[in-house]
Amino acid sequence: MALIGGVILVRLLGLLQNLEWAALDYGLKLRLPEPVDERIVIVGINEGDIQALQSYPISDRDLADLLEQLQAYRPQVIGVDIFRDLPVEPGHTELSKVFKNNSNIIAIERILPGRSGFTVSAPPNLPDEQVGFVDAVLDADGFLRRSLLGASNLQGKFRFSFTMRIAETYLQDQGIFLTNGILDPEAMRFRAKELHRFQPHTGGYIRADAAGNQILLNFRSGPRPFRQVSLRDIQTRSVNPEWLRDRIVLIGVTALSQKDLINTAAISGMTPGLVYGVEVQAHAISQIISTVLDNRPLLTTWPDVWEYIWIILWGSVGLVLGRLSPSPTKHFSVIIILGIALIGFSYGCLLLGLWIPLVPALIAFGLNSIALYAFHLYDQGLKARIQDRQMVIEKTFDALHNGPLQTLSALLRQTQDQDGSMLQLNQNLQTLNQELRVVYEDVRQELQDQDRQFTLGRDLRLDLKSPLHEILYEVYAYTVQRNFPCFQTLKVKVVTFEPLDSRRLNFENKRDLCRFLEETLCNVGKHAEGVTRLTIVCGQSKNLNFIRVEDNGISHSTIPSDPNSTHQKGRGTQQALTLAQHLQGSFQRYSSAANGTICEIIWPIQKPWFWQR
Amino acid sequence: MNQSVPTSAEITILVVDDHASVLSGTVNILQQQYPNAEIFTAQTAEDAQAQVHQQKLDLVVLDLSIPEKLRDQAQISTGIQLLRTMMQEHAALNIVVQSAHVKSLIRLKPAINTHEGGFTIADKSLSMQEMLTKVDWALQGLMFTPKEMRTGLEVKPEWLEVLNFAFLEGLQDRAIAESMNISERTVRNYWTKVQDALGVYPEEGINMRIQTEIRAREEGLID
Repeated sequence: MALIGGVILVRLLGLLQNLEWAALDYGLKLRLPEPVDERIVIVGINEGDIQALQSYPISDRDLADLLEQLQAYRPQVIGVDIFRDLPVEPGHTELSKVFKNNSNIIAIERILPGRSGFTVSAPPNLPDEQVGFVDAVLDADGFLRRSLLGASNLQGKFRFSFTMRIAETYLQDQGIFLTNGILDPEAMRFRAKELHRFQPHTGGYIRADAAGNQILLNFRSGPRPFRQVSLRDIQTRSVNPEWLRDRIVLIGVTALSQKDLINTAAISGMTPGLVYGVEVQAHAISQIISTVLDNRPLLTTWPDVWEYIWIILWGSVGLVLGRLSPSPTKHFSVIIILGIALIGFSYGCLLLGLWIPLVPALIAFGLNSIALYAFHLYDQGLKARIQDRQMVIEKTFDALHNGPLQTLSALLRQTQDQDGSMLQLNQNLQTLNQELRVVYEDVRQELQDQDRQFTLGRDLRLDLKSPLHEILYEVYAYTVQRNFPCFQTLKVKVVTFEPLDSRRLNFENKRDLCRFLEETLCNVGKHAEGVTRLTIVCGQSKNLNFIRVEDNGISHSTIPSDPNSTHQKGRGTQQALTLAQHLQGSFQRYSSAANGTICEIIWPIQKPWFWQR
Repeated sequence: MNQSVPTSAEITILVVDDHASVLSGTVNILQQQYPNAEIFTAQTAEDAQAQVHQQKLDLVVLDLSIPEKLRDQAQISTGIQLLRTMMQEHAALNIVVQSAHVKSLIRLKPAINTHEGGFTIADKSLSMQEMLTKVDWALQGLMFTPKEMRTGLEVKPEWLEVLNFAFLEGLQDRAIAESMNISERTVRNYWTKVQDALGVYPEEGINMRIQTEIRAREEGLID
């Protein structure tokens, strides 16, 4: 569990962000190619065009000519992804006129300073409906994974992005209008398609900048997602008119030398990790119109709670696995199979547009199953080694018992049958005999399960699995031999230890009962002055078990007739009372007729008693 | 008052020991002492258990360190468990325990104290003669436990009653039995138990009852 918590903590600290992004990019890249989105055509001004024009940036006149030519094909929307805040003569008046006369042409602006430190205005005198911003939000690793739909500019005025403007204009012409979301009033919506706003903790993101209205970018996969033509193709009219009629035409620079580039790892292409700005716009526009018109999925995520449940779930699977699996081969096969299943499932989800936390779940699962298994193996190894040692000890004793001890017994018998001269030797041999056996007993008892034992003094351990009256007898036999002052005068012990019904007692209860008897006898040894007779009865009558200890000494310490009445109860008394309570019985201590003290604990058996073998 | 069991008695004995050599040694000695005896042997607890069930035995000579089954490890706990069940199931069986592990027998004291048959403990290192004495005592239904097994003077309430009836009221065994509402046999069993507690054993020229009275008064068991 600590491992799962650790994985979650690491994720919350944002340390897994890069890995989760990489997994997402890789998953997106692995998808099968989608068909070309014929609704969008990119007119890219490439190196060849720039060389042919003999100037850069492209002049207003050339741009105006291009727009006029394109309009002849009657496209639905034309997006000009080229800044025109300042005139690039010659032809500025012509371009302004084209912009003004054609409401289906959208121009760009930059509304936030960003890295460059400057904002860039839209071409002058254009209505808002014909302007969209091209600011982008990049992730900490410099890659683009989100698409801005709208944001406030420095003056606090809400602006739509170039992407959104074009999508809106295109869909508007199809009779689909932009409205506010139903689930989230701040989200944008076309018909039933709500564009879920990106949140600081969406998917693998941790405390991301979710300012404005953003959505995750679900790049269109495939090497050629959009039709692309060059400026010259248009100028020479070598483009199939059908490609342009009623389409979205995006004009942008597609020359490496002009640095209008964006980093992304989610697209496989000619230049890995780099795409032109105009291409990114095409992807962003395409994902919106495709979801509205074709039901193509947008990239969505689970709510945070579900993500963490998912991670905990996989951690738990690992946890269980780590404890269960028997052989390493089997264990690792299962880990690999489940790991592949998890990866496969995550990939399947991604194909359906759902980004689930693969990396943290995989780490939680892997760590738990492997680390715990390693621990398990280590633990088993340890147990096996202990068992081996136990075997060695047993064998040693066997050897001792079968060899030297037998010889010794025979020797002892022989020497004893001889006359007294051998007495000394015999005694020494006797001692040796005892010593050898003590070694074995000591070692063996050391190894026995401590939980099921009651330890008396330093060297006597009682097995709590034995019949209770036998254990209690041993407690008694040991305790009365301890060196207490009052035991000196003790002459006779009258004892009865009969079987007790201990079926409903656990080891803890038994241990407490042993402790009770020991404590009671110790009290006699310490306080019962002049005691000569000690009477112990342990047995059962009807449906009660009882242990009673009676002495005939004179106790100086004042003993209350009712142990409950005093608030100066000793620890022993307190323990006895607690024990009696546990057993639903009673504890009493009172003065006997012969001036002595009687201590008694009684508890019900519950079930009818019969002697069990 | 030494009423040794005649050596010509036709008795059945079971000897339990996991060592073939020790086993045959013990059997030899017993056979010499009791030529008419029928002697069985067992090397495992399982086998011993079966034999005790099958035939009427007069005596079991038991080594505590034995295996449960053949090829099992010899363990004292196995012997203890066998002894426990034998006493439970055959209350009148005479038993000689051969063991150096007297301490491990302490836990069985409550059962030994209520056992009706003879019960003696003979350390394996005892001389042959002493061993045979312990066998004889067991056959007589007497009780003998070595000092290490005792915690000073320890008696059961019913044994005290027997002493009181005998020495304070001068009753004979039969009268005691009637007063206590038990069998005469049980009274005799209580005698041997209290005699073991007081350390009174059959000896040449000793009157055991009188010796018992002397010791009981010394120890303050009777006033």
